[in-house]
Amino acid sequence: MSQLDPISLDPIALDLPVAAPGRGRHRRVRVPGWLVLLLRNPKSCTGLAMVGFVVLIALIAPLISVDHPNDFNILATRQAPSWNHLFGTTDQGSDIFSQVVLGARRSLLLGAAAGALATALAAILGITAGYVGGVFDDIVVFLTNVFLTIPAIPLLIVASGYLKSRGTGTMVLVIALVLWAFEARILRAQALSLKNRDFVLAAKAAGEPTSRIVFGELVPNMISRIAAAFVLVFYIALLTDAGLEFLGLGDQSVTSWGVTMYWAQTNSTVLQGEWWPFFFPGAALAFTVLGLVLVLAGIDEVSNPRLRTERAGRRRLFGRLVGGRAVARPETTS
Amino acid sequence: MTAAVEESASVRTREAALLEIRQLVVEYGAGERPARAVDGVDLAIGEGEIVGLAGESGCGKTTVANAVMQLLRPPARIVGGSILFEGEDLLGKSAEQLRRYRGRNVSMVLQSAMNALNPVMRVGDQFVDTMRAHERIDRRRALMRAGELLELVGIDRGRARSYPHELSGGMRQRVIIAMALALNPQLIIMDEPTTALDVVVQREILQQVEALKREFSFAVLFITHDLSLLLEFADRIAIMYAGEIVETAPAEQLAVSPQHPYTQGLLASFPPLTGTWTRLTGIPGSPPDLRDPPVGCRFNPRCPHCRPEDHELYVRQTTERPKLRIVAPGHEVACHLIARGSE
Repeated sequence: MSQLDPISLDPIALDLPVAAPGRGRHRRVRVPGWLVLLLRNPKSCTGLAMVGFVVLIALIAPLISVDHPNDFNILATRQAPSWNHLFGTTDQGSDIFSQVVLGARRSLLLGAAAGALATALAAILGITAGYVGGVFDDIVVFLTNVFLTIPAIPLLIVASGYLKSRGTGTMVLVIALVLWAFEARILRAQALSLKNRDFVLAAKAAGEPTSRIVFGELVPNMISRIAAAFVLVFYIALLTDAGLEFLGLGDQSVTSWGVTMYWAQTNSTVLQGEWWPFFFPGAALAFTVLGLVLVLAGIDEVSNPRLRTERAGRRRLFGRLVGGRAVARPETTS
Repeated sequence: MTAAVEESASVRTREAALLEIRQLVVEYGAGERPARAVDGVDLAIGEGEIVGLAGESGCGKTTVANAVMQLLRPPARIVGGSILFEGEDLLGKSAEQLRRYRGRNVSMVLQSAMNALNPVMRVGDQFVDTMRAHERIDRRRALMRAGELLELVGIDRGRARSYPHELSGGMRQRVIIAMALALNPQLIIMDEPTTALDVVVQREILQQVEALKREFSFAVLFITHDLSLLLEFADRIAIMYAGEIVETAPAEQLAVSPQHPYTQGLLASFPPLTGTWTRLTGIPGSPPDLRDPPVGCRFNPRCPHCRPEDHELYVRQTTERPKLRIVAPGHEVACHLIARGSE
């Protein structure tokens, strides 16, 4: 799968010395260090390739699908996968391949938006509350507790049942509001433990303003957790959205994986031996979520400079063993 | 006539002081029995002066430092006194004024260099942050200056690209000192800057600080429990015990004629580098509970000169707090023994 992804073949990603801090970087095209490191990590590289593939598909979707994927076609109903209809057709004769391909757009958009919104809310409120303390902290803790006690799925069902608009925006808002509290709580706890470290005191003693201490000192120490929060909310949002649509609580007019599965279930296709209307959107969903989980696993290793050095050390040894050139990097003194 | 002359002299010395702490009282905790970690401390630091503050763990040294930086956090709070920097009281300043004051006027070298650097940021970026908190300077220029500062403390400028864990303990401490110099402050507070290092590195770093001081003429408030270190390094030494300053004197004078029994005890706790071998005595007992300090002289339970036999002195020692008295120019002692001797 990774061959399909152009970024994984990037020469910089395959060239080792870039990660060595500072040497020979100016000669190459500038690629953010964290991306290089993510691509170096086997797990996150695989994950990025998978997610990248889905993104690519979503981008070129209009080129490879039929114009109106939900149109009825009485002449071509319930067809098994074939060269004409790669993923088969539905009970109404719509092309499932087109539905899945176009559905990727909605799924990614919704996941990314919900992830960004919930993470931003959680990071800003959680970290600031942990660092500042006092009344602000009390208010945030109260709010997170309230949101934590709200059962997510029933709320979503009720909300989507009552709301006039069931568009993507509404869905994003509802999912983000339900999920931000979990992350806010975790980030607040981390900020609490970090704020008593000496380097925060040192930053304060150097006269750095509070905003700079929060975003310049605390946040870099929490990047892995924040990124993890984003990825986590991303795929929970994907699954939740598909789940709600599957239950018929979403917007059935859109093209999405959940809606395709909803119609498959409504028309009890499996009972009639038609596996494809379920299988392909389900597999797309599983594929995307797996990719995200792999990215998540890699982020942690990458975000810690200490772990990074150890990895690079192993790489260097490996490079020598297979006859590659050793990586030039400044010696570490201790 | 003479009184007027004396007064103007005292006004002049007060003006010359860069930092002046007057009757500072800091308490920890609230309720009925807060712990008075600092109880009526007076301390003045002149421009370009190295003042040592020595004492046992828990005697309030670091609390004084944090009070000067205005970094005390609850449950600690300043109950009384004032801290004047260039004649202006810090206690009346706004948060923003204090932020500007920290780093630019007074910077701090923290106890543990290991933890005073942000582990996930390159050393150079941490310099940039400090500088940008105070002045408009673009990143490239700030990084250049970081490199220069690193070279001042004997570290290769390329190290600005290193992460803290790639440096040794001594290098990290040097980085911290370089960072404290970044904004060219008038006063640097060093809170046990060398405690975690071995004696060789300790000496190197202190010599470096002295050399830098000659170049940039900042003042230093050097906090340590290692009196032997101060004797060589400091111009003036203040000895702190249980939240009070019990003796201040120029370093040379303190070395040869310590007056307070506690100072004598501290000096007898480490071997002299030269001269005859003497038995190390140390100070028996342990520091008092600051929530309930001994009445009278706080050192009285541990003082070898506090005996019930000498009734009159004993009563004073256990009921009356001794005041700092001048015994020689620049040498002040708070001890009943001295008071009796001078009367």
